[in-house]
Amino acid sequence: MIRRFALALTVSAASAFAQGEAYSFEERKPKTMLEKAVDDHLQSVVKIHGASGLATIDPYASGVVVSEEGHILTLDLIMIQRDKTRVVLADGSIHMAKLLPPDQKLGIRLLKIDTTKLKTPLKPLKPSLEVPKNGTFVVSIGNCFRLAEYSEKLSATFGVVTATARTSLRYFLRDVDYDGDLILTDAPNNPGHFGGALLTLDGKWFGINTRMVESTETNTQISAAIPLRDAKAYLERWIEGKQPVAEEAVEKKPVYHGIKLFDTGGRRSPPAYVERVKRGSPAAAINMRPDDLIVRLDRYSVRSCKEFRETMARFEPGQTIEVTFKRGTKVRRGKITLEEKKK
Amino acid sequence: MTRLTTTLTVCAALSSLSIVNAQSDDPHELMRVQRVTRAAMQKIAPSIVRVETFGGTRKMLAGGGRGDGASRPKPKPKPKPKEDDDEKKDDKKKIGPLVMPGFLQAQGATSGIVLTSDGWILISRFAVNFDPTTILITLPDGRAFNAVRGGEDTSRGIALVKIEAQDLPVPEFVPTDEVRVGQWAFALGRTFGDEEPSVHMGIVSATRRLFGRALQIDAYTSPANYGGPVIDVRGRVVGMSVPLSPSGRDAGADWYDSGIGFASNIADMGEILDRLKEGETLHRGFLGIRYDTKDLGPGVLISEVTDDSPAKAAGIQKGDRIVELDGVQVRNSFHMLMLVASKMGGDPLQISYRNEDGKAKAMTVFLADIPAAEREEKTKKEESFTPPWHDDEEPKDGSGR
Repeated sequence: MIRRFALALTVSAASAFAQGEAYSFEERKPKTMLEKAVDDHLQSVVKIHGASGLATIDPYASGVVVSEEGHILTLDLIMIQRDKTRVVLADGSIHMAKLLPPDQKLGIRLLKIDTTKLKTPLKPLKPSLEVPKNGTFVVSIGNCFRLAEYSEKLSATFGVVTATARTSLRYFLRDVDYDGDLILTDAPNNPGHFGGALLTLDGKWFGINTRMVESTETNTQISAAIPLRDAKAYLERWIEGKQPVAEEAVEKKPVYHGIKLFDTGGRRSPPAYVERVKRGSPAAAINMRPDDLIVRLDRYSVRSCKEFRETMARFEPGQTIEVTFKRGTKVRRGKITLEEKKK
Repeated sequence: MTRLTTTLTVCAALSSLSIVNAQSDDPHELMRVQRVTRAAMQKIAPSIVRVETFGGTRKMLAGGGRGDGASRPKPKPKPKPKEDDDEKKDDKKKIGPLVMPGFLQAQGATSGIVLTSDGWILISRFAVNFDPTTILITLPDGRAFNAVRGGEDTSRGIALVKIEAQDLPVPEFVPTDEVRVGQWAFALGRTFGDEEPSVHMGIVSATRRLFGRALQIDAYTSPANYGGPVIDVRGRVVGMSVPLSPSGRDAGADWYDSGIGFASNIADMGEILDRLKEGETLHRGFLGIRYDTKDLGPGVLISEVTDDSPAKAAGIQKGDRIVELDGVQVRNSFHMLMLVASKMGGDPLQISYRNEDGKAKAMTVFLADIPAAEREEKTKKEESFTPPWHDDEEPKDGSGR
């Protein structure tokens, strides 16, 4: 018995194996890229606490430090209110945040904290303007369900980029008006994780987690993130003070295509069958006829008369679009140039 | 004895050494998996098509919708009992449940896999649940085709359609026996209309699920990848993501984020494929017997024979004991369930059984399709409730909520 014990000890010593070493994170070298990506960026993601009151609104979220001067990027959430928003840094210190104007199109907002009294300087993340391809491994950092308090470390979740796409969304049974691309991942995203950072394994920060939204395309909740590529102008405007290139406010004019659909109305919009095509109209130029079923306009699927109207509203007079339609058992395609609708 | 123990100890120490080695991992391991994943996706991408459906009348919830099997006629509405006026008023006040029973199917796009180069495409039955008037298949190169419906296999949740196209890229299929538990499984799809297929990552959790018809995977499966392939790291198809559940109903996304997804075996369907091409709708096989649950075998003691069933036609009676099926000694009732349920309706089945007085009989019967009623009995009936806000034209002002 004694001999066995002694031998076991020798073997262990020889193999430099000591109990505990196998389980200690710090001493294990080298770190995997996943561990490194998390460790390197944990300092730069912060906990945000906001106004509470309504039971349905969680008064917590996450944010990312984007400048040494104290700019923090997060979502434009209801709970972020003047004089009520506090930022908890990785060291556990609490700071009141000033609110900068949000980007309403993307639904993101910058906060600013006072950095004069900070003992250690902030570690800002540099946004990466690339959007990773589908199948790229990602890690998402945030404070899901407010599990981390004070100086506790935030949670990291792992997944893969599912797709980067425009999909119609729903949030709490209401449609969300968001027209940009979203990065969909299968890294779990939960309440509180919102506003957290989405990183590739080589440490590129490319997205901010959104709220839990439901895709109307699939009727399931999806983990989505806003690409920083789209937030570039907003960040430059409010961090570096760069004046944005003034967009010309163009009034959108309604388009004329000459197609009248067989829209019976009702609760469920019917498929977009053509009832009539005006003579001499853009649609007549590609020989569209009654009973053709319109299935696609450019790259947008058209499954109903309602979707046809909504999609047509995206286009402008003078624009050339491709119409895909089905006649009999054949699917045809043709390009039409939209005209301005006469009153 | 001492020597033996020392050897054992050394072994133990060495094995823990190898664990340490395995844990001081290669820092770039995941990056390599990522590279392999991307390559596998690119290899399979030309064979994944987008499936869009138009029209169709059926509005279905998973709970009350068509289950696995032929659809059952709607029950006649019960005559309203005459009651006091007060009670009627109370009834009116009752509001439907706010919780959705089951899953309301979105009519978004789904995916499909090229099965043959001359235009047979395998899609998920989920896509044709609405009985659409038009099915549109879009190839990755942008060409769109009108698809003609072929057969369906309700037990696998798959459907076959045909398009008039030639020289389509056929993917490589992995025979079911070669799939191992623990290997990577990536569920791909084309719902979001991206240039590249969408991907969810996971592993194979189990093989031979649902009576040998499906793999169980832990990647998210949802309408985003129904009909799409589940691939291994070499870009070969191990199955097709479909909504399935042991209870047999169209599970929708019931188990969406539970870490349970099913990938139908589509590699070695053999003659089933021919039957699907003929346009047949296939169901799980059905013998039509109930067994005595207290009987532990060997063999299965029959407690009831369903009317108009293959068992009835074969002359099997209450009290008989089934001994052999297709030459296999039946051990107990669950063994019999496995043997019968893995067959399809219309398949022949050799039955050997003994009468109550010990007389042995043997014959071949042809299994029937499993009736929908048989399946639905097993699932808890849920009240079908369509929330008003799930219609296309929903109130803009938020009223009616």
